[in-house]
Amino acid sequence: MITVRNLYKSFNGSPVLKGIDLEVYDNETLVILGPSGQGKTVFIKTMIRLLEPDSGSINFDGLEISNLGKRKLARFQEQIAFVFQNSALFDFLDVRDNLSLFLKMHKHQSKEEVNEQVLDAIQFVGLEKEVLSKFPEELSGGMKKRVAIARAMIKKPRYLFYDEPTTGLDKANAEKVSELIKMLKTEIEVTSIIVTHDIHLMQQVSDRVALLKDGAIVSVGPRGYVSNETLQDLYDMRGDYEL
Amino acid sequence: MKTPLLEKLGQKSISFFTTVYEIATLFANVLKSLPHIWFYRRQLIEQLYIFSVNTLPIAGVISIFIGLGATVQGAYQSSDLLPRSLTVSVIFKSTVIELCPIVLSLVLAGKLGASLAAEIGSMKISEQIEALTTLSLDPVGFLVLPRVVAGFLMLPVITIFANFLAIFSSFFVSVVVTDWISTQEFVSGMEMDFKIFELYFGNFIKPAVYGFLITLMGSYFGMKTTGGARGVGDSSTQAVVVSAVLIVIFDYYLGKLFL
Repeated sequence: MITVRNLYKSFNGSPVLKGIDLEVYDNETLVILGPSGQGKTVFIKTMIRLLEPDSGSINFDGLEISNLGKRKLARFQEQIAFVFQNSALFDFLDVRDNLSLFLKMHKHQSKEEVNEQVLDAIQFVGLEKEVLSKFPEELSGGMKKRVAIARAMIKKPRYLFYDEPTTGLDKANAEKVSELIKMLKTEIEVTSIIVTHDIHLMQQVSDRVALLKDGAIVSVGPRGYVSNETLQDLYDMRGDYEL
Repeated sequence: MKTPLLEKLGQKSISFFTTVYEIATLFANVLKSLPHIWFYRRQLIEQLYIFSVNTLPIAGVISIFIGLGATVQGAYQSSDLLPRSLTVSVIFKSTVIELCPIVLSLVLAGKLGASLAAEIGSMKISEQIEALTTLSLDPVGFLVLPRVVAGFLMLPVITIFANFLAIFSSFFVSVVVTDWISTQEFVSGMEMDFKIFELYFGNFIKPAVYGFLITLMGSYFGMKTTGGARGVGDSSTQAVVVSAVLIVIFDYYLGKLFL
């Protein structure tokens, strides 16, 4: 279980996270929903200390990570994986090396074992093995996202973070990504935390939803509690959100 | 409203000392990761290869013309006032100790330093450095250490190659093309007051220090990149300018310290 208490983060004196409290239960998929520019990405990056918090407590299964030293933090980060908004594939490596980098650097496995896992991962995300020899610049946005998910799953993480996984994708690719998120949850029994402004994605994959506005969590509840009125308040816009 | 001069000076000083502190911290982190170099051997080998393949052609062209230029100048300046073998000795020493290492390093600061800062900078703005962290890889160990070690090791190799070509081109223009001096006089000029330490100094000590400076500055400004394409451009420019200034400063102090 992840427990976040009183988490604050500011940049050059302007506060972005204003005392966030949140709990994430084991093996659930929690969607953090909110409009752009409210601190969603900053929040999940601060949760795993890609960004340093100003103050507050971040606890993963009893391990307080807000004050961990560099080495212990790196060991903790072996349990997590992160799918970045723009995929963040290493552009100097082909897809095969992007996927196998973690295994090559951290796991003492034979070349055959590594290749097998890479192949499994690329097939799991629905891509052909021919993609393995391509470089990120040769892939479409949807393919990049799926490779990024494959790179995350190959780590077999305990916690999986997604930053706007469907942003910039067409409807068909966005559907594929949400399918993958659901499949991954059952495949590797992972606790998923997704930040998004995509209401459709929230409806498809979430067990619970936290609404984030102006650097603070305004409410948390099961997927069903999100109503048209809550979304109108959250997005400050009248309209039908087709729930 | 205009910022008062003193306030501006204060801000500049703070920014200067912050940069110095951050560079020192990066250097300390590189040293800390040095025992793990075996873990990053693939990256190191890749960088050694890139540094050699990308720089040898330009180093070759530059060094040939350094040798030719130094010889023409030396012959012209000395006229018939000095024995020709003494002129050769001056050309040889100034080329090996000063001209080749510093000109080559300044050019490579432009080539390697800029590309390094741009490469790391674009990784920074596209979240690839954060992605390394989420794969439990230390960005300093993975990106900076192999580049700094490659710079430290490869610049001496490139300089030895460059010095060899410069001396050969000097020999070629003075003995073969113009017949200004005989082979025997040329060789005796090179042997005149020959000190083996000078060869080490020009071929190993200076280039190793400059290689270290170029790669450390390129990595530092790359890691500090913010914003978009403009930020990457700014980082590259800063990396080149700061490396070049440091090379010139270190050139003076290394000479003072070792010679």
